[in-house]
Amino acid sequence: MITKLAYKNILGNGWRSLINIFILSLVLTGMIWMQGLYDGWSRIARRQMQEWEFAGGHYAHQDYDKYDSFSLDKSFAAVPPKLQDLIDTGDAVPILYSAGIIYPHGRLTPVVIKGIPAEQNILRIPTTHLRIQDPDTQILPVLIGRQMAKSINVVKGDILTMRWKEVNGAYNAYDIQIVQIMDTPVPSTDMGQIWIDYDKLNEVKALKNSCSVIVLKNQAASTYVGSPWNFVSIDQSMKGVDAMIQTKRVGGYVFFVLLLFLAMIAVFDAQMLAVFKRRKEIGTLIALGMTKRQIIGLFTMEGTMYMLLGSVLTATLGLPLFFYFGFQGFPIPQQMSDFNIAGASEPIRCYYSPIMILSTFMIVMAVTVFASWLPSSKIARMKATYALLGKV
Amino acid sequence: MNETLVQINNISKIYPTGEGGFLALNKLSLDITDGEFMGIVGPSGSGKTTLLNIIGTLDEQTSGEVLVLGKHVNKLSSKESASLRANKIGFIFQTYNLLPVYTVYENVELPLLLLQMKKEERRKAVMQALEWVGLTDKMHSRPNQLSGGQGQRVSIARAMVKTPRLVIADEPTANLDTENSINILDTMLKINQDIGTTFIFSTHDPKVIQYLKRVVTLIDGEKVKDDYQTGI
Ligand SMILES: Nc1ncnc2c1ncn2[C@@H]1O[C@H](COP(=O)(O)OP(=O)(O)O)[C@@H](O)[C@H]1O
Ligand SMILES: [Mg+2]
Repeated sequence: MITKLAYKNILGNGWRSLINIFILSLVLTGMIWMQGLYDGWSRIARRQMQEWEFAGGHYAHQDYDKYDSFSLDKSFAAVPPKLQDLIDTGDAVPILYSAGIIYPHGRLTPVVIKGIPAEQNILRIPTTHLRIQDPDTQILPVLIGRQMAKSINVVKGDILTMRWKEVNGAYNAYDIQIVQIMDTPVPSTDMGQIWIDYDKLNEVKALKNSCSVIVLKNQAASTYVGSPWNFVSIDQSMKGVDAMIQTKRVGGYVFFVLLLFLAMIAVFDAQMLAVFKRRKEIGTLIALGMTKRQIIGLFTMEGTMYMLLGSVLTATLGLPLFFYFGFQGFPIPQQMSDFNIAGASEPIRCYYSPIMILSTFMIVMAVTVFASWLPSSKIARMKATYALLGKV
Repeated sequence: MNETLVQINNISKIYPTGEGGFLALNKLSLDITDGEFMGIVGPSGSGKTTLLNIIGTLDEQTSGEVLVLGKHVNKLSSKESASLRANKIGFIFQTYNLLPVYTVYENVELPLLLLQMKKEERRKAVMQALEWVGLTDKMHSRPNQLSGGQGQRVSIARAMVKTPRLVIADEPTANLDTENSINILDTMLKINQDIGTTFIFSTHDPKVIQYLKRVVTLIDGEKVKDDYQTGI
């Protein structure tokens, strides 16, 4: 009965109700869309990092520290036998890291050289280009990413000099030729990276079948292989990217907290006015035998119903939007794709998880219920005698 | 049949105001018996509404004793007094106080919803009440589509639908013309005669006073007269 009365009162409230409902649905739509965008981004980033860099997770040499380029020259070891089996069956791929220096247009540029087997097909790096036809060649084929090519201003076919340290500390130099420029969406496979054949890099560093990381094809194969190898799951690899997306998400939240606040004010204001304007009605309901608790319930219900109607509006007006961004995706503006972050290279398809939608509803619901309950608590202190006052 | 419904012993009501409070009722005593058709009469500001609010358990006296249906009004919890009103007391207001968003039918049905009556029973009672006031044909209208007289008849139906022991009507004809006033008074008198519901009015309208079988006159919060009439 209270529900029906509340519903009718809202209808009777006309455009004022409409505005409230509209604001609430705006807040809901915005919050769901925005979170869907970030969740979608995170999923794409994850997928791309899996495709291009970490597949099902990887073992890393314990001395390797991606933030310390000096660690590169000590963080390698012979492939452990246990993992060699996986490599032989094509279920893992070893990658050897080395610090190096190139001289594009005479400018000294430090790089990370990555040796990867040309025949691998676990990662999407187009390594077939790295195959060395002539074993005696003095010009080594290498692959770089589009951003890297842009930043050092080279094109396909260019020949550069590259130097690196051998294991004994002596510097060695080779000429390299850019045989392919690849479009990788993952910056950490692009900026400052030179991809070269695995065996060749071992050879020129005077090593044999040594690597810095071993990337696994399947997520399950996370067996312990012992020192010096540490297993790094895909979740751990995602941490940095997720943290970054999270930061951006928080930035977006500020806007929606403001919107939410606006919605709260709108409902609060509507209910405040209602409590004041409808004193006589409240008095009448008391005279008819309603308890104050029932009346507070009625007013709170009215506010809550704004939320429900707002949700309905969200469902009808927001759905096309959600579907559009869910399937079509959100094109990343140019300056955003320069962000040093994975997932910023293709349209982001929003991803709406039930938990996210539910929690968003809960938050907005809690806020509206509170905002509509707050004014009605005034009713508890209201005089029942208003009902019999002759004045309107 | 001659049970005392309302028993008022030496009550005073002081409204708190800036300087010491305003004495709205002064040492008033009054008994109202089951089945009466009586009125509190007096000029504006004499304390009629104050007295009805107290009898209707919407307000409390400052001193003295009030028993409604055998219960000490000022000892009831707010829940108990709500239940007493929901079950036993009907109100008719000067300004009708119908809920504008409800239809006539729904307005009359509302008190029964509070009693959690079943739908079929509710329907019967609502139709009966609308018949008493002659408004069965208006049951789907909204209050703003009614004339003043019809509005007040709906409010009588709403008060009567739960067949209360006691109906309190505060200046029910103040907003009505003569014809409508007579009409609703006839309606209420008929209900009083047919089913014995007790009516307590407040009024200073001579048309109403004519109908009353008992007239209690208030001036400045004091009972100055208590007459039984046999006019009608
Ligand atoms: N809440 C209140 N606070 C202060 N004074 C009041 C209040 N309600 C009524 N009064 C005063 O009490 C007196 C009696 O009021 P009321 O019972 O409404 O009279 P009536 O219904 O006979 O016109 C009036 O003088 C009125 O001003
Ligand atoms: Mg009055």
